[in-house]
Amino acid sequence: MKNCLIVDDSRVVRTVAGRIVKDLSFSVTEAADGAQALEMCRKEMPDAILLDWNMPVMNGLDFLRALRREEKGADPIVVFCTNENDSEHIGEAIRAGANEYIMKPFDADIIESKFAEVGLV
Amino acid sequence: MQESTFNELSDLALRLSGQHIAASKAYLLEARLSTISRRENLATLDDLVHCLKARPNPRFEQEVAAALSSKKTSFFAERALIEKIVTQALPQRLSHSKTGRLRIWCAGVSTGQEAWSLAIRLSEEMGSALAGADIEIVGTDLSTQCVETAKSGTYGHFDVQKGLSIHRLMTNFSRKDNGDWTIGDAFHQHVNFRRHNLLDSARELGAFDIIICSNVLGGLAPAAQRRALETLSAQLLPDAYLFTAPDEKIEGVSSLIKPSRALRGAFERDTTDKKTAAA
Repeated sequence: MKNCLIVDDSRVVRTVAGRIVKDLSFSVTEAADGAQALEMCRKEMPDAILLDWNMPVMNGLDFLRALRREEKGADPIVVFCTNENDSEHIGEAIRAGANEYIMKPFDADIIESKFAEVGLV
Repeated sequence: MQESTFNELSDLALRLSGQHIAASKAYLLEARLSTISRRENLATLDDLVHCLKARPNPRFEQEVAAALSSKKTSFFAERALIEKIVTQALPQRLSHSKTGRLRIWCAGVSTGQEAWSLAIRLSEEMGSALAGADIEIVGTDLSTQCVETAKSGTYGHFDVQKGLSIHRLMTNFSRKDNGDWTIGDAFHQHVNFRRHNLLDSARELGAFDIIICSNVLGGLAPAAQRRALETLSAQLLPDAYLFTAPDEKIEGVSSLIKPSRALRGAFERDTTDKKTAAA
């Protein structure tokens, strides 16, 4: 079973996204900020990361840049999932190494479609 | 909803669009007609049917029938089909074309995503033989409202995130102030939309190299399906291809169209002289 790390400072978003991702046959782990997520990745790289942008301690973009510098940090497929919906933010995320981008609000069909785009389902 | 209401609405759909609505799908009617009911201040479908009968209005009946036959669609919903058309069917047709002009008809295109998806995919063929071809895409639907949405090329937050990668969204669309996304102006040069009922002749649309009619024919009653197949096959150029959705069940294939020998999964017009063959 593939693992998806959900990184979001909102417990509600983590719960909702977690249920959707579980329905896509992933096991789910959670982190509330980028620093916590980076620690978890150093212990074990997930197959996929669903990543919020604005979070305390370390934001999603800084996390992604740090992740891609880690050994095996290029492996996880990273899907941003954020309220930052303008083309500047989207472009910045892609340049930093994001594989896909979800604009909040989302539903189950959007997550499934985006995961399909990057070959996760 | 009263049983008589379901019967009235399913009869209307059958008469005007050929659509067969099974009783088991009665639950869909309320959702499909919700926009019309809201606009007309009608609380229930029973009220809507009462209104249809009390004030007969062919235009309103057409609108209701179109709403009943609407199909939910998304970008690249038939991804494998689009790939087959772009990488196999169109190059084959182009190799036989003297003018380099190819025409595609997306029949029953609903809100247009299929036609735009095809146009987007074609725009990615910069280095291939298709890059120099003059390709026109015509999308048609029974619903005037769907055709207007398709023409606008403007879709909401949820629509653009289903079937479109972020790369394709950023490359081909621009974001409006209200959060909707609009397809680039250049695409409108090659894609146009018109209202058309598949039960009517499509002679005015002209002849086509490729016709796509996915997830439409399977929902029609047998007689309507045959009529629609007559309409579609009449607009196929010699050796041109008709595509339906891969798992769609089509009746009457043997008499009007036949599976293509040149391209698996496609149909061609059956030009066999039945009398001669029988003799």
